[in-house]
Amino acid sequence: MDLLDLAIYVLPPYVVAVFLFGVAYRLSRYVFLWKRKLSAPRRQKSFVTLLVGLVKTFLDPLIIAAQKRKGDFIGGLIALHIVGVIPLIFLLGQHVAMFSYWLPFYSLLKPFAIPTSITTGSQSFFTNVLPASSMSWTFVNTIWGPLTIILNGDLLAILAIIGVSYKFGDKIVRALHKLPHLRPGDFIDLFLLLAILVSGFLATHHLPTPNIATYRLVLGTHILLAETLVAYLPFSKFWHFVFGYWYGKLHEWYDIKFNRGSL
Amino acid sequence: MSWEQFKKETVKVAAKKTASHLTPVSLHFLENCVGCALCEVNCPFTPVGEEYGPVSKAEPLRHVLRQEINVLPMLFPWLFDGKLPKSKEELDKWVDLAYHCTNCGLCYITCPFGIHSGEMIAQLRGFLAQTGRVPSLLKLMVDAETSGMFLENPGFKQVWDNVMSQVRNVANVELDKKGAKYLYLPSLAEAMITPGAVVSTAKILSKLGIDWTMPSKPLSIRVPIGKLAGDHESTMIIAKKIYDYIKNINPEYLVFSDGGYPYTFFRFELPGVVGEKPSFKVLHLVEILVDAINQGKLKVKQTNERITWHSPCKMGRFGGLIEEPAEVLSKVSTNFVKLKSHGLFSKCCGGGNSIACIVPPTQEMMEKLMGMKLEITPTEKSFLDKLYRDMLIAGREKVQEIKESGATVVSTACVGCFHTLGFTTKAHGVNVTLKTLAEVVAENLE
Repeated sequence: MDLLDLAIYVLPPYVVAVFLFGVAYRLSRYVFLWKRKLSAPRRQKSFVTLLVGLVKTFLDPLIIAAQKRKGDFIGGLIALHIVGVIPLIFLLGQHVAMFSYWLPFYSLLKPFAIPTSITTGSQSFFTNVLPASSMSWTFVNTIWGPLTIILNGDLLAILAIIGVSYKFGDKIVRALHKLPHLRPGDFIDLFLLLAILVSGFLATHHLPTPNIATYRLVLGTHILLAETLVAYLPFSKFWHFVFGYWYGKLHEWYDIKFNRGSL
Repeated sequence: MSWEQFKKETVKVAAKKTASHLTPVSLHFLENCVGCALCEVNCPFTPVGEEYGPVSKAEPLRHVLRQEINVLPMLFPWLFDGKLPKSKEELDKWVDLAYHCTNCGLCYITCPFGIHSGEMIAQLRGFLAQTGRVPSLLKLMVDAETSGMFLENPGFKQVWDNVMSQVRNVANVELDKKGAKYLYLPSLAEAMITPGAVVSTAKILSKLGIDWTMPSKPLSIRVPIGKLAGDHESTMIIAKKIYDYIKNINPEYLVFSDGGYPYTFFRFELPGVVGEKPSFKVLHLVEILVDAINQGKLKVKQTNERITWHSPCKMGRFGGLIEEPAEVLSKVSTNFVKLKSHGLFSKCCGGGNSIACIVPPTQEMMEKLMGMKLEITPTEKSFLDKLYRDMLIAGREKVQEIKESGATVVSTACVGCFHTLGFTTKAHGVNVTLKTLAEVVAENLE
């Protein structure tokens, strides 16, 4: 058994177990700390106003970032999150295939799968070259059509790598300015993300050398690093994606808009 | 404990006590920050220096809590950012960070994760208070309010008596009247900084012909002032004391003209502190004014003075009264103008959360009034001098907005904002008249 076999066939259940333990640990702390407290009557506002307020609660920081922190908005939000890691993780053809192997219902997302590169995208659109098997066909004949020329793994990975590098640079500048909020975890998390992106990119392109052993090693490393991220997620700031972001904004809306009526 | 002292044991005890106040919401504030630092863009103190961005100011509390409640930071504090201050200098630095925050809440609604750094910094002040680091003037006020001793100071008594004599000139009110429908609750701070608000509110309530009363003596300096120093005990004691007075009067409505933290505290936090659902409703004067003007119960003359409204964070962002003051002022002035940031994201005055009330010019004013000299250590003095300079920088953007509005009168309804704007408009050379909302309305009653 090599690294790739270990990563694909052996480790996933253990990774999921650690992940679930972490989720249970973090959520249980919220439950155990909760105490009933008397609250004042809320300021009444209409349902529609509150609904608009809810949407604005999520949108306002994005608008502020676009206006006042353009670098962070483009590098951190657009490149890293929106057109970077989020579509890559959940919609890259290979990832859809892998998730579908472990979670059969995930195959519902196959029509949305993003091809690996501009070559596969353009081939499927312009030359209508039929892939060798029906399984591959599923992943190139997606709803994205000509958009796959832009919406492909290569481009998204490059954008995500630029996004992570931007955040790395930002943290280094802040570290040089000796700001108190810099944490070692920031660098560990960004390094892990960068390593996953780079190893995934290399594996996809059969780099650094096009032989089977190297390919299996690089792909195995990529999957192992990704599994490390999943296991580590509940104990790191990656948790924001699963819980922190949603809880935080919903709580803010409840506190400021629903309860105090500040709209 | 003196400002110059540092005891490791005291720091450890303070950390344990601080961790004991953890709630699910404060746990979220503690652990879900990703350090994106977007909060910096709207914080009034970021222009002073990026180390005063909310995320950096809240980080010391995270250091304290991590090593108290998380297993890995307990075992490997150097790797997981858990630590306590190790020297007097480090503790002084934390004090400097904690008091460069007005808790205006702009960081809270700017944060992509809904993290209220201002609330964390308030808890950090609590930790620092346990170690003996509370600015002397603030400590004096907290102690005086909690013990009720402030009533014995001749200077304070004189201020209150002056205001009450003006109140008697404009309103025929029975003081401490049990069973009155409306209980108006001004503070000693209002009598000192915005006496016109107290007199004008009395005039308005009388004009409305409603059954109202007010206390014959001030119940607080500005309740609960202990909250500004993170003193939970003092907050509890004074809140219960005033709650008992209110219950004794048994009004239907409790009315505030101060739209600063006293209003928000009584409106939203009181039940949680006293453990009872109050039988009365808490109103800000502006809520009465909106209804009375719209229903024709209160008639106002229109002026063409160019008036603008500075929305206090506690009344607007944390109190839900954002458009009501603008509605009232636009009825009073045909030339009313909203400031550029009017709304949920209204800019902060730069001196709230006790800052304007502890800086050297205020200290001098208070010393003169109280007839006593405060003993300040050199470290504290240099901290306060810097805080004053930085407060003027923090208030600059608001003053710029006022200047751009072309207003000649700036109206607000918070003692802290009023006091701060007095300093900042003068420092930045903007010549405007400051008036409380109650004064603007009372001056234009038909």
